[in-house]
Formats: sequence, C-alpha cells, structure tokens
Amino acid sequence: MTASAPRVIAIAVAVLAIAPLVLPPFFLQLLTEIAIVGLFATAFNLLMGYGGMVSFGHAAYFALGAYAAALLVKKAGLPMLLALPVAPLVAAAGALVFGFFIVRLTHTYFAMLSLAFAQIVFTVIFKWKGLTGGDDGLLDVWPPPLLKSPAAYYYFTLAVVGLCLLALHAIIDSPFGYALRAARESPRRARFIGVDVRRHQLLAFVLSGLFSGVAGALFAFYNGSVFPDFAYFPKSFEPLVVALLGGVHSFYGPLAGALGFKVLEWLISRQWPIYWPLFLGGIVVLVIIVLPGGFVGLVSGGRWRARPAA
Amino acid sequence: MQVLSGLSVGMFLFLVSVGMSLIFGVTRIVNLAHGSFYMVGAYLMVTLVELLPDRPWSFWVALLVAPLGVALLGGVIEVGLLRLIYRRDPLMQLILTFGLILVIGTLVLIVWGPDNKSVSRPDVLAGSVPVFGQPFPSYYVLVLALAPAVAVALWLIFYRTRWGMLIRAATVDREMLGALGVDVSALYTQVFVFGSWLAGLGGALAAPTVAVAIGMDGDVLTTAFVVVVIGGLGSFAGSFVSALLVGLLQSFGILVFPAISIVLLFALMAVVLIVRPWGLFGRAEE
Repeated sequence: MTASAPRVIAIAVAVLAIAPLVLPPFFLQLLTEIAIVGLFATAFNLLMGYGGMVSFGHAAYFALGAYAAALLVKKAGLPMLLALPVAPLVAAAGALVFGFFIVRLTHTYFAMLSLAFAQIVFTVIFKWKGLTGGDDGLLDVWPPPLLKSPAAYYYFTLAVVGLCLLALHAIIDSPFGYALRAARESPRRARFIGVDVRRHQLLAFVLSGLFSGVAGALFAFYNGSVFPDFAYFPKSFEPLVVALLGGVHSFYGPLAGALGFKVLEWLISRQWPIYWPLFLGGIVVLVIIVLPGGFVGLVSGGRWRARPAA
Repeated sequence: MQVLSGLSVGMFLFLVSVGMSLIFGVTRIVNLAHGSFYMVGAYLMVTLVELLPDRPWSFWVALLVAPLGVALLGGVIEVGLLRLIYRRDPLMQLILTFGLILVIGTLVLIVWGPDNKSVSRPDVLAGSVPVFGQPFPSYYVLVLALAPAVAVALWLIFYRTRWGMLIRAATVDREMLGALGVDVSALYTQVFVFGSWLAGLGGALAAPTVAVAIGMDGDVLTTAFVVVVIGGLGSFAGSFVSALLVGLLQSFGILVFPAISIVLLFALMAVVLIVRPWGLFGRAEE
C-alpha cells in the first residue's frame, strides 16, 4: 500500500456514497455487481496473491453461499437479514471439507483438485432437482421491500462488501497473514520457524470460501434467483481473470480489476453479446503475455516485482 | 454390448487424452484448449464432408484432412503464444490456455453458427454387424479397430524412433536434453502440433457418432482431463488404460446411476489425486 492510499480510499468512498444521487438505476446495478465481483475476487486473491494457491474451483463456494441463502429464505422461511450471515458459513463448511484435501497438494494439482470438487458441487446442484430446482434454478429470492430498490440494495451491498474488505485487510495484515506469505515464499523455511504451513493454508482456504460465500449470497438477493451456472467452471475463472486483470500483488488489485472487468463486459456485451467470451479470452491472453503485473502493477511500477503468481 | 460401446467411448477419449498427456509430458503445459481442438476437428469434418463431392472416398479424405487443419491451428498457437511463456509460472500457462477455450469457442460459434451439425457415416459403415447376436453399428467397429492401431503406432513412435526417444528424454529432463545439443524449442512445437493432430483426429472420428455442437469442447475437456489425471500426466500407457476405464465407467454409470455418473467420475479423480496425485501410471515429481 502506498502512502496516498487512505486518501484514494476516502475519495472512492465519497464518490460511491453520492453516486445514487446522480446515476440512473442501471449504473447503480452495475456498481452493485462490481462490488460483489470485487469481494469475490479479493477473497480469491487471499489465496492466490498472499497464499500462492490458485484455485480453479472457487465458483463452488460462491454457489454454496448463493444456494444456501436462497434455500434458507425459500425452504426454511428465514428472513433475508438472517439468511445472509448464515449462508457464508455453509460455504465455509464446504471449503473446510474440500480444502482439507486440496491443501495437501501443490501448484497444478492443487488447481485441478479444486476444479474437481467444484464440478462435483455443480453436478449435485444440477441433478438434485428436488432441493435445488436443477436447471431451472430457484426463483423469487428477493430482499425485503425496504432493500428492493436499486439504490437501497446498492447501499446495502456497499456496506456489507466494505465490512468484508476491512476484515480481509485485517486478516492480511495480521500475523496470520504474514505467516501465510512466508508459507508462500518458502514452505520449508516457514516450517523451520514453526509455522504449521498446512493449517495456515487450510485456514486461508476456509476464509476465502467464507467471503466468496458472502459474495454469492449478496448476488443471490441482487439477482432474485440462483442457477447451477453459479458453480460451473467458467464462473471459477471469473475471480481469477479479475484478480489477474487488476494485479494479484496488491490488496486493491482485484477491486480495480472488478471495475475494469465489469465496465468492459457491459460495453462489449451491449454491442456484441456473443463476442464477449472472445474478448474475455483475448484479454486473458494479452494480460498474461504483455502485463504480468496487471493494471495495478502497471501503475505502481517497480514496487511490486512483476512476478508470476507469487 | 455395453462393454463394446464403453470401449468405443474410451477410444475417443484415448485419442484426445494421449495428446494432452504428451503435450504435458514434454512442455509441462496442461493444455485446457485441447477439448477445443477436438471440437474444431469435428466441425472441420462437417465442413469437409459437405464440401467434397459425394463419393465413397470423400469421407476418408475428410478424415485425413480435418486433423491436419487442427494440427496447423495447434502449430500457430504454439509458435505465436505458448512459446512466449514457457518460462513463466505453470499456472499462468494454464490460465492462458483457458483464455484460448473462450476465444476458439466463440470463433467456432461465429464460423459455424449455433445449430447442431451432423456428419453421416460412410455407406460402407452405415449398417451394423451382429455381435453376440445383437446388432452393433459397424462404424464403432472402425473406431474400435483404428484407435488401438493408433495406440500401437504411438508405441512404435515412442519406443522405436529417434524422435520418440527425444520425446521420452524431454519428459524426464528438458534442460539436460537442451544441454546435449537438441533443439528443444523445435521439439516443443512438433509435440504440440502432434498432440493437436491427435485431438483433431479424435474429433473428426467422433463427428459421425455425436451431435457436433457448441459446448462439446467443455464436455470432452472435463472427461479427458479426468482421464489424464487418473492415468498420470505425461504417461502414455496411463492414458490408454484410464481412457478405457473411464469409457466403461461412463457407459455403465449411465445405466446404473444415470444421475450421478459424472459425480462418480470426478469422485474417482479426487480419490486418485488424494492417494496418488501423480496418477496411476505417472511419476511423482520433485
């Protein structure tokens, strides 16, 4: 973080706070989506940027959060404000069970096992029609009337995302966060100085799953419905692309990436809806080859060495 | 009967996954775009069969040319993109090939449109032959014959030619091979082109048996991926055994538990990854 970061944050918060006064509802919805994706990508980056663990299956925890929220409201009859804090716990529980196995592996195998578990989650959601509605998803998952307007849900999302980001920042700045970085840089040396590498990685995995679940639950109420696509593998690449786009070596990278990603998606799919994946794929290829540090890496210059997925 | 159709599915899987495994063995890149190559092979087959005059030989010409088109595509991608990032983190390479899935998938959608296509089987193989008193489509007999032939040919290439020896050497120690004066960079390109050709052949061969459709890339990729992981990345025999295993598991799984046959597949993969992360036939790394 640079010295001017607090000032930038203060300006950003002020701009976001007055946005509903000047922007039409459509842009508020876009900003709401940006905030949710930003949280998802930041949670993902706790693993990728700080833990050096790249998950190819984070859609699983997003979907678990979204489906848990939808089911709690629809089947258990819980009010939304109660379902929202409970749903991420379901995602965290999933992350604990899967993560227990996943953190035993490294690099490519880590990525592949996380993908395998996400595909299992997807298939279960897809096939278990009785509970999840299968292909049709679950509809009518709306927040209470008070939060239903775009501006109200926008403020609500900002508040929840803001709190989560503060928590994530605190986690990354804590001794735990530094031990996690140590485990990333050299697992062996970290072990020598007494860090239980696997336990730290598992905790990071669970926390990352928890906050991905918050993003999923927020998105469920924003969208008013949940679908099996939430767990499908292209969704898993969303936080990865966003984090990569923004830069994985900075706390704010994924947030900047979410802004760029969503604005680009809106601009392109408004004009040529079927070309969006082409652009997305092209952007991924370009960023990897030309901009290894992401856009934040470009701005902050040499401060963060442009190292691949440290 | 179920065994035979399971084996035929296994044969397509083998062609795709052995190429993927070969590419990984030499270049250390997990090519996620491999399913896309398979899809392009199938679509090229559609176009070629349409374009060529309706003669007995045109199907076979198409079957020959379509995989070559895919091989060319693979060559362009290797030289134009992958060559730039061999020294980078393997995960970046993985993400790059994911980007290629999106690019190729959209391009196929633009070129061939969203409707399903089909390729008719050549007249010679349009009927069926009796196997154990039940009719079995004769096209599958071709598949069952051709894929083992490819397997034998591959074995001969790997173990009886100099090029095969270089490939095996590269999977063991690339730096050492380079230090001994072998042009490793050219070898990478050749292997990538060859692997793409195999995927294209799988796609072209499968085209008459399936609906050629957008999205077949993802289906094949996930299954081939499971095959490669179970068999062991970079292992030739592993791909063969596990492709047959997965093919059988799929065709029986659909009979016994239709709802969860895919879960079964991924559960098997998860178990293998937990118990033997390097696969049944692979070598442990580091």
